[in-house]
Amino acid sequence: MDSALIPEGVKRCSLWKFLLALSITSGVLLWGVIAMLLCWIKGLNQTNMNDYYGFALWIWADLAVIALGGGAFFSGLLKYIIGKDELKNLINYAVLIGFICYSSALLILAIDVGQPMRSWFIFWHANIHSMLTEVAFCLSCYFAVLTIEYIPLILENRQINKVPFFHHLAHNMHGVMAIFAATGAFLSFFHQGSLGGVAGVLFGRPFAFRDHILIWPYTFFLFTWSAAAFGPCFTLFITWMTEKITRKKLVKDKPILLLAKISGWMIVTYMVVKSIDTWYWATHTAPSLGFNWEFFFKNNPLYGKTMLFSEIILGGWIPGLLLIFRPTRENSVTRTTAFFLGMAGVCINRWVMVLQTMAVPVMSFDSWAMYIPSWQEVATTILPVAYGVILVMISYRYLPIFPQEKELNPIEGSAGSVDKQVGQTPAGDDSPLQPAQI
Amino acid sequence: MKLSRRCFLSFVVGGAAGTALSPLPWKLTDDLSIWSQNWSWTPVPPDGEYTQVNSTCTLCPGGCGIGIRKAGKRAVKIEGLAGHPVNDGGVCLLGLSGLQLLYGPARVKTPLKRTGKRGGGQWQAISWKQAIKEVTEKLKELRKKNQPQSLASIGPNGSGTVSALISRFMKAYGSSNDMKMASKLDSDEQALFLTQGIQNGMVGADVENADFILSFGCAVLDGYGSPVRMFRANSRWKENSATLIQIEPRQSNTAAKADQWLPINPGGEADLALAMANIIIKENLYNSSFVSDNCDGLNSFVQMLYENYMPEDAARRIGIDVQTIIDLAHRFATAARPLAINGYGKGQNPSNLKETLAIHALNALVGNIGKKGGITGLSAYDYIRWPKVVTDTVAAAGLKESRLDGAGTNAFPHAKSLPNRFFDKLSAGNTSIQALLVAEANPCYSMPDTAKIKRVFDSIPFIVSFSSFMDETAMMADLILPNHTFLERYEDVPVKAGLTAPIVGLCRPAVEPQWDTLDLGDALIRIAQSIGGSVGAAFPWKNYKTCLKQTLADQWKDLEKKGYWMPSQSLQADADSKNKAGGKSGRYVLMDGTLETIYMAQDAPLEGDSRSYSMLLMPYDTIRITSLQIGAPPFVMKTVPDTVLKGQDGFIEINKKEATEMGFKQGQAVIVTTPIGEARVRVHLSSGLAPGVIAMPRGLGHTAYDDYLAGKGVNINQLIGPVEDPASGLDTALGIRAKLAKA
Amino acid sequence: MKQEHTQHRSKRYGMVIDLDKCTGCGACMVACFSENNVPFKKDETDKRLSITWMKVYRIDNGRDFPNNQVCYIPRPCQHCAGQHEGHSPCVSVCPATATDYSRETGIVSQIYTRCFGCRYCMGACPYHARYFNWWDPVWPEGMEKYLSPNVSPRMRGVVEKCSFCFHRYQLARDKAYANRRKDVKEADYQTACTQACPAGAITFGDLNNPGHAVHQIVKPNDHVVKNKAGISIIGKSQNPNVFRMLERLGTNTKVYYLSSREWVRKAGDNYIADEKPEDMFAEQKKH
Ligand SMILES: Nc1nc2c(c(=O)[nH]1)N[C@H]1C(S)=C(S)[C@@H](COP(=O)(O)OP(=O)(O)OC[C@H]3O[C@@H](n4cnc5c(=O)[nH]c(N)nc54)[C@H](O)[C@@H]3O)O[C@H]1N2
Ligand SMILES: Nc1nc2c(c(=O)[nH]1)N[C@H]1C(S)=C(S)[C@@H](COP(=O)(O)OP(=O)(O)OC[C@H]3O[C@@H](n4cnc5c(=O)[nH]c(N)nc54)[C@H](O)[C@@H]3O)O[C@H]1N2
Ligand code: SF4
Ligand code: SF4
Ligand code: SF4
Ligand code: SF4
Ligand code: SF4
Ligand SMILES: [Mo]
Repeated sequence: MDSALIPEGVKRCSLWKFLLALSITSGVLLWGVIAMLLCWIKGLNQTNMNDYYGFALWIWADLAVIALGGGAFFSGLLKYIIGKDELKNLINYAVLIGFICYSSALLILAIDVGQPMRSWFIFWHANIHSMLTEVAFCLSCYFAVLTIEYIPLILENRQINKVPFFHHLAHNMHGVMAIFAATGAFLSFFHQGSLGGVAGVLFGRPFAFRDHILIWPYTFFLFTWSAAAFGPCFTLFITWMTEKITRKKLVKDKPILLLAKISGWMIVTYMVVKSIDTWYWATHTAPSLGFNWEFFFKNNPLYGKTMLFSEIILGGWIPGLLLIFRPTRENSVTRTTAFFLGMAGVCINRWVMVLQTMAVPVMSFDSWAMYIPSWQEVATTILPVAYGVILVMISYRYLPIFPQEKELNPIEGSAGSVDKQVGQTPAGDDSPLQPAQI
Repeated sequence: MKLSRRCFLSFVVGGAAGTALSPLPWKLTDDLSIWSQNWSWTPVPPDGEYTQVNSTCTLCPGGCGIGIRKAGKRAVKIEGLAGHPVNDGGVCLLGLSGLQLLYGPARVKTPLKRTGKRGGGQWQAISWKQAIKEVTEKLKELRKKNQPQSLASIGPNGSGTVSALISRFMKAYGSSNDMKMASKLDSDEQALFLTQGIQNGMVGADVENADFILSFGCAVLDGYGSPVRMFRANSRWKENSATLIQIEPRQSNTAAKADQWLPINPGGEADLALAMANIIIKENLYNSSFVSDNCDGLNSFVQMLYENYMPEDAARRIGIDVQTIIDLAHRFATAARPLAINGYGKGQNPSNLKETLAIHALNALVGNIGKKGGITGLSAYDYIRWPKVVTDTVAAAGLKESRLDGAGTNAFPHAKSLPNRFFDKLSAGNTSIQALLVAEANPCYSMPDTAKIKRVFDSIPFIVSFSSFMDETAMMADLILPNHTFLERYEDVPVKAGLTAPIVGLCRPAVEPQWDTLDLGDALIRIAQSIGGSVGAAFPWKNYKTCLKQTLADQWKDLEKKGYWMPSQSLQADADSKNKAGGKSGRYVLMDGTLETIYMAQDAPLEGDSRSYSMLLMPYDTIRITSLQIGAPPFVMKTVPDTVLKGQDGFIEINKKEATEMGFKQGQAVIVTTPIGEARVRVHLSSGLAPGVIAMPRGLGHTAYDDYLAGKGVNINQLIGPVEDPASGLDTALGIRAKLAKA
Repeated sequence: MKQEHTQHRSKRYGMVIDLDKCTGCGACMVACFSENNVPFKKDETDKRLSITWMKVYRIDNGRDFPNNQVCYIPRPCQHCAGQHEGHSPCVSVCPATATDYSRETGIVSQIYTRCFGCRYCMGACPYHARYFNWWDPVWPEGMEKYLSPNVSPRMRGVVEKCSFCFHRYQLARDKAYANRRKDVKEADYQTACTQACPAGAITFGDLNNPGHAVHQIVKPNDHVVKNKAGISIIGKSQNPNVFRMLERLGTNTKVYYLSSREWVRKAGDNYIADEKPEDMFAEQKKH
């Protein structure tokens, strides 16, 4: 019924099936929306946050989602600035995922603050010394950039594109996309960094505190680097999942392997730096503030040395190595495992930087503070996931996200035409989604 | 339409600029911020002219001077009065919370008449006229039946006009069943009479000037005596490097801050004091000139000590080694200005006489009776000089009937009032009490074995409460005639709480009465006058304020100006100049026949057998919970640690090691059982409690008042019963046998 | 304006709390509640949701009965100066400048109507001196009558903390102006907790003013010293019994503590292995 909206030359499931899936996800979304409204109407007492956990699940989700969304800026950087043209086949999806991640992050922040109606004070009364100010500015700007990057995608919808205005608009936007991608990469560098700075500048919190380079604590650079390293894992993992769910190959191996390889090298180099940072923190920073590093991993039910091991070895070195060695990179099982481990690793990193930072007692007579989120927090955290799934579903169904899809999935019965197309435009080079070509 | 790049950019930039320059976003954001800063439900306190009313706090017997800050007609803050002789600016958390009582939800706002069944909480608001009429009718009826003695009253243990008016009313009416809530003041008073012959006296302790303070379980830093004064004294000790030794099984705040904490077996105070006395005398460390000049009965005292209180035996009984006792005795006797103080906790419970006498004997032996840094027997306040009550025949006949509690009889010749025995009698089936007036007391909460007390209340046909607050006793009343709170009324506040010089503070209204309440004094005057005859004639005043003004006659002007009056600047100076022990004879009796009986008597046993109840449950007092006069207001409750109360669950303290051996974990729910009752509590594992002892705070487990207090924790009085001191008749229970089991 | 600032020395209001005298009575907490319109709820036993600008901690020496020793530590906001005056842990992070460091008084302010409740400052404060209004403040009917007009009640969703009773400073300053005095008198500006403390354990005043009692007890160093980790320590006390909480982090607080007990002084900070408080400045001593 909605075939007129579906991109030409691709096959989609029946509308009925689509709507069913949509309504299930919408149910989850609704649950999240109810929780969100509760938080707005009744206040943050709906959460299990408290005066020890001013930052909790949501801020973790925020940081995690932004790290994972890092695939967008990094692929953009690689494609537009470094010139890895192969990545054009992934860039749409990376942008979409980035857009979802960043819009989610902003939504979460809007729920997380006590007075959402005044959150613009962050701009109006900005304190330039605050990492959060930097985050807010860069995050909003980068979100604007992602929106700009996403809009032409929408305009590529078959029906919308028929309107000349939108057609030309899309055309023009593609034309300036490199500028936006560059801006985005620059902004991303700062906001990923400033998110790392959020924890790293806390000189009252020896677990998170790091020494500085210029005005930035080491975590500033570590966060940017890790987002660049692990973000692509997420993009690729989601791509893999999309392929599993749609039971179609959507992107050719070449761009995937390329991005996986770059990601692998990013992870390994990141892990070198991260390991040095951890070592320096454990042997210099923490002791100089009166703490034996082991103190941070003892006498509490959750944060043991396993946590550190999981983050650095399991979620860091192992995926990194799996991705730089050709055999494990080219093996889809080990590759996907590496993506998964990498995502987990960066999520653990963001978790400890937020929640373990809050849990550690600083005053010698204080004790570890543990925290279990309320259902409202869980629901609002799942809300963006549901929203993301919905956006992906709709975008996938109606927008030409994957330039190689047509080629890789010739529609039976019209095989000839596809063949012809493939023949004419190898690797889908004339895809309308390739602005640089226009 | 073809959109050029240029056109596109101008479209975007133009659109953005246009929106930004329009008033819309600015107006909207501005509105948002204003709106979110002015929720209609967040109160904006109105301003007004700033004034201050100086008054006296009556929330505990401390007698602190307070200043009530006002904005317009509203009282907005209570502060301690700088320069006041009791507290000099300091103030306790309860005093600071006074306004929450004044404006709080637990107030009884108008006279109430019970409609449902007793204790059911169903009331009908009635007018004062009707309230007075109902009381009068009932009381007239009893007198008509020639049963005035079947009226009883329970009032505060004070020396001021309110307490006196109640007693006067009882006398004029014709009943001697005039109960005053008992406290340490009662045991001290009896001890003072036995040792120094001072009747109705009170004991002043010059704590500030002592340099070696031996505290036998006194909650010096948790509300003992005049609490703020004690805090100030403690700070002075620190400044002067005085030594504070705290003797008690639990590491109270006082023990925690003392220079030495000496945990002894509960109830071992008398043993310890007498063993020390033994050593001091044996080693000739006592003040021989003072003792020979001023004390009687040294020889028989010594003999008694040698026979019964040898240090080795005592040490065994109280669970510390002999050397510790010997050292303590040496240090005490050789200190420049030693002082031994007595009274468990805040002093809310009387101590047994043996213990009181033993501790004071220590003071006598080192010669610090009536000295700087010592103990002084003070005679009672005597500024209330009303004409004698002229009784009619009904009253005279009623007064001939003996008191139900036996106070003043041969058995308890020195006791003035024994409320524990009063309730025991009624609980045992005596039905002679037909009506009861309760004023400024909450026996249904604060007396041991509350279930029993409530049963007694249930059996009394007519009960009138004068409480300002819907407390547990008011809940059991038939009529509530609510008193003004201390911030709405006049009252004289003679301080008895251990000060060395008498002080009468003036409590005066800081604000208009907030509700339809009436001063207790006025209510009594109205009731008396409406009964008429000789009862009315005993109350010749127009109202309570007139009564107060006339009573204080010459002092009134001064009182109004200064806020307090010190009847004689220093009784201590008098005593010093005579270099005598004070009192009528100027002598101190160490031993005579009466004292010998007391010293030789076996201690009253604790309730329960030690086999089925292996532990000892003790109440403890903490300044962070009010346990008597008044239910803790929200601010006070807010300071209660989460190891004492968590949610609605109260905690019981237990020695950490012992608890671990018993398999209890911090916070675990347990059932504590005593011969009186049982309760569900959580355990708090403490390194500051002797093994074998478990402890719970007084002041929790209210069933009345408001949601900020009711239902939180367990009232320890549900679990303990009275233990009568055979020497004084007073209830001197220090705890009860108990056992713990997993819940 | 600028000239005026440089003309007379700025003030550094601070406190010293005598832990030998403090009895843990909690009067300071309640004095603060009642002075500053601090709200309360029916259940205040979850201490991580209980607003107590002044909080009295109970610490012990960790030994078993009967060798257990206890000390109480009242903790208002420490009014941290940070590594350089104004770089307080909380002030430096607040994105909306809703909490600020006054160079005139050294007081860390909190602007409730500007705070939008991001709680970053709470995460930054190692003393847990900051509290969030998780609920709308609600007073039982009639009880809002006692609210002081000097301090505005806070709305839900914002952070609050001890202000050193700043409104009292304002009143004292008004009084000084009215009397044509340049300076606020020591006695004219005292905090509510200081005044109420029945033990007289708290001394408050200008740490920069040698005439003030707080200065005389603390004897703050008038030059910056670096500890062995290279962290700048401003106003280090030269009284051997005086310490600050978490001094080695470089928060440079203006609330000092006094204790004659070594274990208490040691509990004020964290030390690895057999480090001692004296070791912190070992290298300085050599010079
Ligand atoms: N926060 C708070 N504080 C409270 C209370 C409360 O509910 N809350 N309760 C208050 C109450 S009800 C009371 S009664 C007080 C308790 O305290 P009070 O009973 O008011 O008086 P003390 O200050 O204990 O003074 C009694 C002194 O007299 C001495 N003494 C006793 N007997 C004799 C004797 O025979 N001869 C001589 N020479 N000396 C003797 C004792 O050693 C003791 O030092 O605490 C009060 N404090
Ligand atoms: N079990 C036990 N019994 C004790 C004690 C103990 O510790 N434990 N302590 C003894 C001692 S020391 C004492 S002083 C007595 C006290 O006798 P209690 O009966 O224990 O005293 P409260 O319960 O405080 O009674 C005061 C009553 O007055 C009300 N009230 C409070 N403020 C005001 C006011 O301003 N005006 C009026 N009219 N009423 C007010 C309160 O609501 C309460 O009902 O108890 C003695 N009995
Ligand atoms: S110590 Fe007693 S009299 Fe003094 S302020 Fe506290 S409650 Fe009132
Ligand atoms: S009021 Fe004074 S004594 Fe009481 S807890 Fe506070 S600082 Fe300590
Ligand atoms: S104590 Fe905490 S809230 Fe106060 S100034 Fe320091 S960091 Fe800020
Ligand atoms: S919660 Fe308020 S004061 Fe704290 S950092 Fe955020 S905006 Fe600033
Ligand atoms: S200084 Fe004022 S605001 Fe701070 S804790 Fe003390 S009373 Fe509260
Ligand atoms: Mo009392």
